[in-house]
Amino acid sequence: MSKIHVAGWLVLGAALGVGLGLFVGWVVWPVTFSDATPDLLSDPYRRDYALMTATAYQAEGDLAAARARLGRLDADGPQWLLSATLDLILADGAEADIRRLARLAADLGLSAPALEPYLDSDGD
Amino acid sequence: MATDARPDSHFPAGARREWRAWSLLLTGLLLGLAAGLAYAWLAAPVVYLATSPAWLGPDERAEYIYLVSRSYGVDGDWPRAARRLAALEAPDTAQTVTALLEQAIRAQRPPDEVRSLAVLARALGVENTAVALFAPEPDSSFLAAPTPPPGAALPPPTAVPDPALPTRMPISPTEQPIYRLLEREPLCTPGQDAARLELVVLDARLNPLPGVAIEVTWEGGADRFFTGFKPAQGSGYADFSMAPGVRYSLTLPDGGPLVDGLQVTTCASGDAGGWRLIFQNLVFAAVPTPTGD
Repeated sequence: MSKIHVAGWLVLGAALGVGLGLFVGWVVWPVTFSDATPDLLSDPYRRDYALMTATAYQAEGDLAAARARLGRLDADGPQWLLSATLDLILADGAEADIRRLARLAADLGLSAPALEPYLDSDGD
Repeated sequence: MATDARPDSHFPAGARREWRAWSLLLTGLLLGLAAGLAYAWLAAPVVYLATSPAWLGPDERAEYIYLVSRSYGVDGDWPRAARRLAALEAPDTAQTVTALLEQAIRAQRPPDEVRSLAVLARALGVENTAVALFAPEPDSSFLAAPTPPPGAALPPPTAVPDPALPTRMPISPTEQPIYRLLEREPLCTPGQDAARLELVVLDARLNPLPGVAIEVTWEGGADRFFTGFKPAQGSGYADFSMAPGVRYSLTLPDGGPLVDGLQVTTCASGDAGGWRLIFQNLVFAAVPTPTGD
């Protein structure tokens, strides 16, 4: 067996092994992350989490806690909240939900003309 | 005994080459497999960027359930709360919520927090002392939510939350209770030591009020406890043992007056005495009101 022949068998085996290893490691038996954080939630769940945060804020009035929760959803939590709120407005979402999100956004120092109609005090 | 030292020398050259080729292939395969697995598991594991709440870690799940309970307390939307809980794909959501409720009570979390978890537990069909204490009437002061029978299944989970929920009836948030000191009298039990604070908290209709937080402070210390943990004394009852020579202050953090100067007294019988305080909540239970939308 020539040296090229030896290397050829080794390379062929390694190539097959790497392919098999990747298939097993990524498809058949992938690493399971059971301790996901809210920022890994899919977009609808993140938006729902933000709504729950705004609703909890309405009940408890703890702005620091709300800010921390939003921070766990997105590194740019407040700005992301504003974007999510505007999306809900444009999607014709439930008014009560929009009001809660808008209130939290406003209390976090964010402003947008579209939020104004939802910030009157007796709307909820 | 003269034998050939090479075991494969008995085989023809072609067979040896074939055997060596297979062994090389197998060696390469094993090395490649190890490298592939190391890469797939350690260097570049699959990360699912769009997960559901079912993937959240224990602390995040607890926080998620807390947010569900808070939201349920505000909007009273049971289908939405049930859908959110179902997204956790927990085998026994009621048990999980109950465990969180007990944990919150032990950690002396704020009464509102405990109450919202208790209401959620009750909505899930849980019936125990903690739920009875903190969520005594599911349709009264906190929210209006249908209580499914024990063991009732949650609505089937959906792939994603529906942002366009049906019109519902928002519930006005629970008003902050305001208490007044209805009565303050010395406590003496002839022949017995009564060096304690006895508290009774009543609602606006003078019915015992369980689950009300009471905060006692003294120089260098503080304690917080709830009414209703001695059912034999009444669901609005709580007590606190005082040490001689220590001056205590007491209040109801939800909105009660500060009662100061509480200390062990000496009764006419010569026994140590304490104080009996009765508080009344001046706010009648909030009634859910439709907003007309």
